[in-house]
Amino acid sequence: MYNTRMITVRLPQKKKELDLPGPRRVMDLLADAGVRPTTVIVTQGKKLLTKDHRVEDGATIDVISVVSGG
Amino acid sequence: MKCKRCRRAEAAVDLPSHHAAFCPDCFFLFFRRQVTEGIRKLRLLAPEDRVLVCVSGGKDSLVLWDVLMDEGYETEGLYIDLGIDGYSDRSKEKVLAYAASRGKTPIVVELAKEGIPIPEAARCARMQECSVCGTVKRYFFNRVAAEGKFTVVATGHNLDDETARLLGNLLHWQRDHLARQHPLLPGAGVGLVRKVKPLWRVSEVETAAYGFLKGIDYVTEECPMSEDATSLVYKEALSRIEDRMPGTRIVFYKGFLDPSNPLRKGPEAAAPAGAAPVPEDEPAEDAACATEGEVEEGVGTERACAECGAPTYAETCSYCRLKERVRKARSLRAAKVSR
Repeated sequence: MYNTRMITVRLPQKKKELDLPGPRRVMDLLADAGVRPTTVIVTQGKKLLTKDHRVEDGATIDVISVVSGG
Repeated sequence: MKCKRCRRAEAAVDLPSHHAAFCPDCFFLFFRRQVTEGIRKLRLLAPEDRVLVCVSGGKDSLVLWDVLMDEGYETEGLYIDLGIDGYSDRSKEKVLAYAASRGKTPIVVELAKEGIPIPEAARCARMQECSVCGTVKRYFFNRVAAEGKFTVVATGHNLDDETARLLGNLLHWQRDHLARQHPLLPGAGVGLVRKVKPLWRVSEVETAAYGFLKGIDYVTEECPMSEDATSLVYKEALSRIEDRMPGTRIVFYKGFLDPSNPLRKGPEAAAPAGAAPVPEDEPAEDAACATEGEVEEGVGTERACAECGAPTYAETCSYCRLKERVRKARSLRAAKVSR
């Protein structure tokens, strides 16, 4: 049986959305998405997640870039 | 992961550079202490100051305004509408909404109404957008501050901005820029107000986390004009170093600010005396430093601009010269069209 429930990782500034298998830590999801942890904050609804937070299947998280041009 | 301070609540922010992780309430305390310590250590603000906070709609400037208000400073916000299609409208919306939530009405300068929207001005003057933007912002920061009798102008430059600028200045051995780079740029004479960067101790991740946890709705898209800014290259390099060696950024910047550092001369060096001449209208080094300079650099003695009265070393200030270039380009274009 394939696991049909995935974690949705949204990268709004890149207008990108990925479905990744879970449950996994935020830092691992970021690595898979090719995002360096020191350049983003990761949110789930109104919650801010630490990089070692375990995200469960079926969850949606937002990866917000914090790097500004000046 | 539990909060390292209260040891009870779940941590929401992990900060490897501080070997710490905080729950929202403890993070607010930590963040505000970082900012107030940064203000106190470098004597950036006095309790009686009237602070003009330059807000762009981005996280840093709105967070700065929020913290300064919470700390009891008398503040007003200044928003400069750059006239960039779509982006400026969305940024202004965020500023107005945030200001309204705090019972404030920001001062708004619309560059289109001033006849100098950034994209068109840059095309007409054949200059980089960030350079034009720096000249124009610098002019209005001083003008609005002087007209409104503000004692100080505060901008939201953070640790990442300042270290990126420092790296750029070092890589190009910009000795004159290095000598003056500091979170405190003293005012000088009439029309040149003191400028401060109270967020110099906090990183972009920290300001973003603070803004998110405080429910500040900021614009997350980047200025479309700054996509190729060299500051982003320096930021990426520093961020890669920070990944491997957390805490390097703050050590780098604090070491630079050490009064014994021969590369810099202290805040007094920000005054124009002895400023090295630079070519006319030289593009700003990068977006991060676009609003950095004080009186436009040059040679000779400071005087009032013949057109507008702003401090300058030339007959007219760089803003008036820019406006003149734009006016001439428009006239030429109009003449071509009518032929």
